[in-house]
Amino acid sequence: MLIRTQDLWKIYEMGREKVNALREVSLEIEKGEYAAIMGPSGSGKSTLMNLIGCLDTPTKGDYYLNDKLVSQMNDDELARIRNKEIGFVFQTFNLLARATAAHNVELPLVYNGTESEVRKRKAREALKMVDLEDRATHKPNELSGGERQRVALARALVNNPALILADEPTGNLDTKTGHEIMNIFKKLHRQGNTLIIVTHEHDIATYADRIIYIRDGAIEKEERKKN
Amino acid sequence: MNLLEGIFIALRSLATNKLRSILTLIGVIIGVMTVIAITSIIAGMNKYVADQLSAVGSDTFFIDKWGLIMSDDEWWEALKRKSITLEDMEAIGENCTYCDKVGASADTRRRVKRTGDHLEDVRISGVTANLIDIIDIKLEEGEGRYISKFEEEHNRAAAFVGWEIKDKLFPSVDPVGKEIKIGNQEFKIVGVAQKRGSFLGQSRDNFVHVPITAFFKHFGRRRYGRQLSVEIIVKAESFESINEAMDESRAILRARRRVPYDKKDDFGIMTAETLMDLYRQFTSTAYLTMIGISSIALVVGGIVIMNIMLVSVTQRTREIGIRKALGARKRDVLWQFLVESVTLALVGGIVGILLGLGTGKIVAMNSPLPASVDPLWIAIGLFLATSVGLAFGVYPAVKAARLDPIEALRYE
Repeated sequence: MLIRTQDLWKIYEMGREKVNALREVSLEIEKGEYAAIMGPSGSGKSTLMNLIGCLDTPTKGDYYLNDKLVSQMNDDELARIRNKEIGFVFQTFNLLARATAAHNVELPLVYNGTESEVRKRKAREALKMVDLEDRATHKPNELSGGERQRVALARALVNNPALILADEPTGNLDTKTGHEIMNIFKKLHRQGNTLIIVTHEHDIATYADRIIYIRDGAIEKEERKKN
Repeated sequence: MNLLEGIFIALRSLATNKLRSILTLIGVIIGVMTVIAITSIIAGMNKYVADQLSAVGSDTFFIDKWGLIMSDDEWWEALKRKSITLEDMEAIGENCTYCDKVGASADTRRRVKRTGDHLEDVRISGVTANLIDIIDIKLEEGEGRYISKFEEEHNRAAAFVGWEIKDKLFPSVDPVGKEIKIGNQEFKIVGVAQKRGSFLGQSRDNFVHVPITAFFKHFGRRRYGRQLSVEIIVKAESFESINEAMDESRAILRARRRVPYDKKDDFGIMTAETLMDLYRQFTSTAYLTMIGISSIALVVGGIVIMNIMLVSVTQRTREIGIRKALGARKRDVLWQFLVESVTLALVGGIVGILLGLGTGKIVAMNSPLPASVDPLWIAIGLFLATSVGLAFGVYPAVKAARLDPIEALRYE
């Protein structure tokens, strides 16, 4: 089991009021799965993604990633886990504007002390996987939206993480480019990667084998694609 | 975290905002520049003073009418004093038991002429022949001798000349035995001094020593309506007895000049040590000024750097969020911003050092003050700049390191 959450609660205090962003979420995702988390805005899917992505810790409940209890970890330990186990893809790409595509891809390797030579080689390989080797020296503002998201994908892949976590990866792209990106995700899944996609678009969610519906901070229902 | 990357980020942001960079760094630049400029000028002076005082032995002291004058009042008071005479010198020579040698000199300025060629405003000193035994006067090899006792006793028009006299007036001939005209009087050159070079923009080689008796005879015993005052130069028997020699000389002079017991000396006694003290007083004032100016400038510079770094942290909140999401720990982010602020401050430090060296050079070229740079002070300049970058970079860097990754990623 790659991901196991047990009765996750996330409670925000807004002044005197308490907001239950997540209520008793228990979820299991296996290695090699391709899951989508769906829900309208305000449903708590972003909160869940932040917890799964180790960007945040739950108020209550346990979260095991790769059998490690991450819900008790401190900031630096979480940073290690994010670096090693998780590859992020964001809606707004989140590339460093002043750095080249290759350098952006190298970034996760910078933070685990990989040598410069190895970093360059791995970044080249990752860019090759998303068909962008010829754009390695371009900066984000010289790339199209689709190309930027492919750079972000290469960055997510470069450290060979246990989990690729994508938050509305097609949200800033036109439909055609969005589907191109989803096809790359499909390819990555076939190569054995574990993928979780957070989206509010149903036709994007249907690329996944399993759709988890979230509403009002709790899992509403699940659908599995039949093979 | 990659150190080079941090340095590049800092340099790039400096290069893109040139005016802002100059304004940001001006405090650090001025702070470091002050340190380098003042220390290089003081170092230059140190060299000279050490060189000068080494010519005066630690067993030697000077007596003159003036002493060390530190204020206008002292000057007006000293102006009324009686002149010191050759008889005073003789009295010390006869009665001071701890004194080994007692000499005297008196100065004036005259034009020095050789047929067709001349030097203006040369320092002419009337000296006793034993002066060469008291202070360090070096003879140019093979170029004659110093003034002799015989010449002193018989008012002979003999001249011992500085190196420049030979260089300018006798470029191709041996000057020893030749005649020169000092004012209107002919003197015969008996020897040439070794080259001493120049200091404070003035040549130290354009001088002539003549017997003090001949000096009085040809240039007069009076100056501005008063008897010309001489300087007495005394070599004590040894370094240990210099204080006794000074006490005895003081007592002899006070008696001769009839100074009441409750009044201060109406003459001055100086040793190499008192001159050194005076010099130390001057340099410590200069150092204090330097410390004052540079610490104010560095603190102001540090605050400006802190301000710029806070702006930079805010502008790059999103970048910090991305870095944290990708695995940057607190200390990685902390380092990144510290490296940046130190790089900023170091650029200011380097500019300050270059400007400080330039200032020293310009001062050395346009004024009599020499300049020389001690590498230690360059290191201290760099150290100061680094410290400012670190001290004032900590707060913004800690602020950046503490950002919550989720908040930071959401920042627009």
